[in-house]
Amino acid sequence: MAEPETLKGGRRGRPPWPATPPPTAEEVYGSLSEQAREYPKFLESIVHPDKAFNKPEALDRVRVLDCSTGMIIGHWASSMLAELGGEVIQVEPPGGDPLRRLTPFGRKEYMARDKQRGEPVGLHFLHEMRNKLAITLDLEKKEGRDILKKLAAHVDVIIENGTPGQWDKWGIGYRQLSKLNPRLVYCWVGQRGQWGPLKDKPGMRDPVAQCASGFVHGTGDPKEFGGRPTRSGMWVADHVGGTAAAMGIVAALLHRERTSGKGQFIEATAAEGIIRILDYNWVWHGMDGSIRPRYGNWDLAINIYAVNPCKDGYMMVGGGHDRLWYRIWKTVGDEVPQVEEEILADTNLRNISERLPHTRQVKTYTLLCEWLKDNTRAEAERKLVRQEVASGGVLAVHEVAEYPHFKYRRQVQEFDDQLYGKVLVASSPNLAEKIPARLKWIGRPVGHDNEEVYRRLLGFTRDDFDRLGERRVI
Amino acid sequence: MAAKRTRKRKPLTLPLPSGERRRGEGRRVGQGEGDFERYCRQTFNPAAVFGKPEVLKGYRVLSCTQYILGPSCAAYLGELGAEVIKIELPRRGEPMRHSTPGNEGFLYPLSRWVPQSGTGLGFFGANFNEYFISMDFHRPEARELIYKLAAKADIMVENYRPGTFDRWGIGYRQLREINPRLIYVWTGGFGGWGPGRVRASYDILGQAQGGAFSITGQPEEMGGSPSKHTIWLADYWGGMMGALHALSALYWRDTVSGQGTFLEYSQVHGVSRQLEYALPLYGRHGIIRERWGNWDTQLCVHGIIKCGKSSYPKSDNPQEQEEGYILISAYEDGDFARLTKAIGQEKMVRLYKSHDVRVRPESQREIYAALEAWAKDKTKEQVAQILDRARIITQPVWNAKEVASHPHWRDRGSIFWLDDPTYGDLLSQGPAYKMSDTPPRVKWALKPIGADNEFIYGKLCGLSAEELKRLEAEEII
Repeated sequence: MAEPETLKGGRRGRPPWPATPPPTAEEVYGSLSEQAREYPKFLESIVHPDKAFNKPEALDRVRVLDCSTGMIIGHWASSMLAELGGEVIQVEPPGGDPLRRLTPFGRKEYMARDKQRGEPVGLHFLHEMRNKLAITLDLEKKEGRDILKKLAAHVDVIIENGTPGQWDKWGIGYRQLSKLNPRLVYCWVGQRGQWGPLKDKPGMRDPVAQCASGFVHGTGDPKEFGGRPTRSGMWVADHVGGTAAAMGIVAALLHRERTSGKGQFIEATAAEGIIRILDYNWVWHGMDGSIRPRYGNWDLAINIYAVNPCKDGYMMVGGGHDRLWYRIWKTVGDEVPQVEEEILADTNLRNISERLPHTRQVKTYTLLCEWLKDNTRAEAERKLVRQEVASGGVLAVHEVAEYPHFKYRRQVQEFDDQLYGKVLVASSPNLAEKIPARLKWIGRPVGHDNEEVYRRLLGFTRDDFDRLGERRVI
Repeated sequence: MAAKRTRKRKPLTLPLPSGERRRGEGRRVGQGEGDFERYCRQTFNPAAVFGKPEVLKGYRVLSCTQYILGPSCAAYLGELGAEVIKIELPRRGEPMRHSTPGNEGFLYPLSRWVPQSGTGLGFFGANFNEYFISMDFHRPEARELIYKLAAKADIMVENYRPGTFDRWGIGYRQLREINPRLIYVWTGGFGGWGPGRVRASYDILGQAQGGAFSITGQPEEMGGSPSKHTIWLADYWGGMMGALHALSALYWRDTVSGQGTFLEYSQVHGVSRQLEYALPLYGRHGIIRERWGNWDTQLCVHGIIKCGKSSYPKSDNPQEQEEGYILISAYEDGDFARLTKAIGQEKMVRLYKSHDVRVRPESQREIYAALEAWAKDKTKEQVAQILDRARIITQPVWNAKEVASHPHWRDRGSIFWLDDPTYGDLLSQGPAYKMSDTPPRVKWALKPIGADNEFIYGKLCGLSAEELKRLEAEEII
């Protein structure tokens, strides 16, 4: 069988990005009146990411030791802290985190190599290695754990993802480290938790948490439409759980500084991150036993609010309340008047919540598709945006990368890294007037910062490095 | 006196599907518990949460928000103990109150003015622990009220279209004059500057244009299309990102600078941040990441397969009648060897010797086809039972009922019965993370529109009963 079309024979050499340069400020604001351009230009002047390096960082006095291995949830949490200014030291076993070796379909040629050693690293891992220092330490060895205890005295935050109780058994769990450093914020991350009936059930990588939280059952088309439960293309539960962990960590730091002077123990799991944000799943089930069904690319609770096929792909149109509802049908009616007439004549569709039952959603979207089928994404978007209706096409990755608005805002940017050369990445969405997130470097090869970190924090000498290196402790 | 024998709490269990035992799904609550687990249970005990202090006690947050993105951002701060004041339009409130699955579930009343209508379940989960007041922002008299509130607030979350609040005289530029320590969080679709700044957005548009849609769902060749995440991911997770930044800003204000600031969060931008290797791969090689359905592009075996039989064939709920699905994860060589043995396909070990071979697209198609063929006469529980015995990692795809009634999540307080002061018993989700000393918590789910008008306007703006009545009559509040 052939590989998917898009993976066949990747282009070699110079990256194709950007196919067109980002728009200039003149192109964006030139045609506007003085009054209309005043506010966006003010905003741009205070939050533009190009100016980030002239500004302070929110967490630049916070040192984080990320000891999580083999799971994105911990790496994601520390990425968030690193983007906001934390000094994150990524601790890997000698030989590196196993995630470094992951690459789509096992293709080694897609891996990045650093300029110093030419060591390959998967792009997924690299994307979450930003702004972090890389050191190695073997925690399976007693000597390694002794070093960790010494490091714990110098850090504000530790993130770990050992199997439940492992670190405690090793004598480096929260109970022991908090005695050595009472100000330590200690965060355990995982898929389902370190206590409770499922704690020993194995499985450490997404989509374990997606399946265990009800997310997968609810995603995808209904069975009658040929669909099946569907996982997210991304390891999304790790991203949500990791963000929650970062929130808990910053909250604990704030409490330490303002009130208690003490650190605390935090636990965040990928599954509970998703459970928290599964909106009405539980309350609905609790009310009448309903089990949230899959509803494809429509929404059970809002009409119009969906992605449907159009002439050249898939098109999102959304009009949650009346003002937009009528504007959408007016736009449609300009081209297909009978559709607008039919909608306006239907008394069942007059009230916002009465539009929600299934048969009415079917009617709505059947009629909307009458119009969408003759419009491309760009055409439909142009017409709807003129009416201020939220709408837009489903963009493939290359379209995201080339989208003028994203390029203009540095949402997608090519970062020229000292070690890895040019890498196209998504920047952090946390823009700010005074404490914006920023990208300082893409990543580091295994153990790249051993010398610097161990000398700076623990006063290691050449002898120490030789001795520990020989025994593969670092 | 003899010690009184306490009756053991009956463990929560699910009705067993097709009469089988739920094997490999853990022990009973508290059974065979080790020292460390007992310690964790005490440390994070959901029942002890209300005896502990809150991080954000004494902080005040104004939430001038609607839909999910902005509201959830404020709600996460509310879970940590901030006094969150949610400001809605008088009478109808915000649109999510009128959004509920299939127009079925409502919580009554919508407000004291409209007791015969209810609040839709779409509103649930995005507004925990908040005080609800009503105000028509753009009226001149409302402006004075906002000034009074902002003078006493630490954070303001706002998600109207960029520039709207500025035009009404209540944006960042005006409020920072009143309160230089204010952290102003704007969350929204495309951001307030750049060529797309005028575009409105919703969660689903964020997913579509940020790129998540195009890499989720079955591939074209399997009859699939780009798929939406079931949750309002870009909103609920985006709110978390906003709250994380707001907390960091508080940390910086209170430990370093004493200054407020302006934060901007674009949800489309947030979704792009989640694309993993997609952008670097495109940038380096011009290769476009596509959908790969329920399998994994980087690991094999690590995918969800269909089991041919339903776990609840006699159920009258179509959600339960449908066939089961299960995640099987065996990407290491040893695991894969045991997996092939368990399904009676030992020859596959020779065919797919290393992970590099297994993870190729053509291998994945064949391996998962063999797994589904093997599972076609089994339920997901049967598959789990067989593979657990072979020490293979599995995770059945659980529906909302299976998750909601699982003792693990109940035990941990992640899903629990909330005794809501206004709406009674509600099955609710708990906070996304646990803290030992200052745990986040859910105190109440929501309140009717304007429920706290008297309390908040009296406390912070000094309005008398008469003034309140007049403002209400003029529909300013």
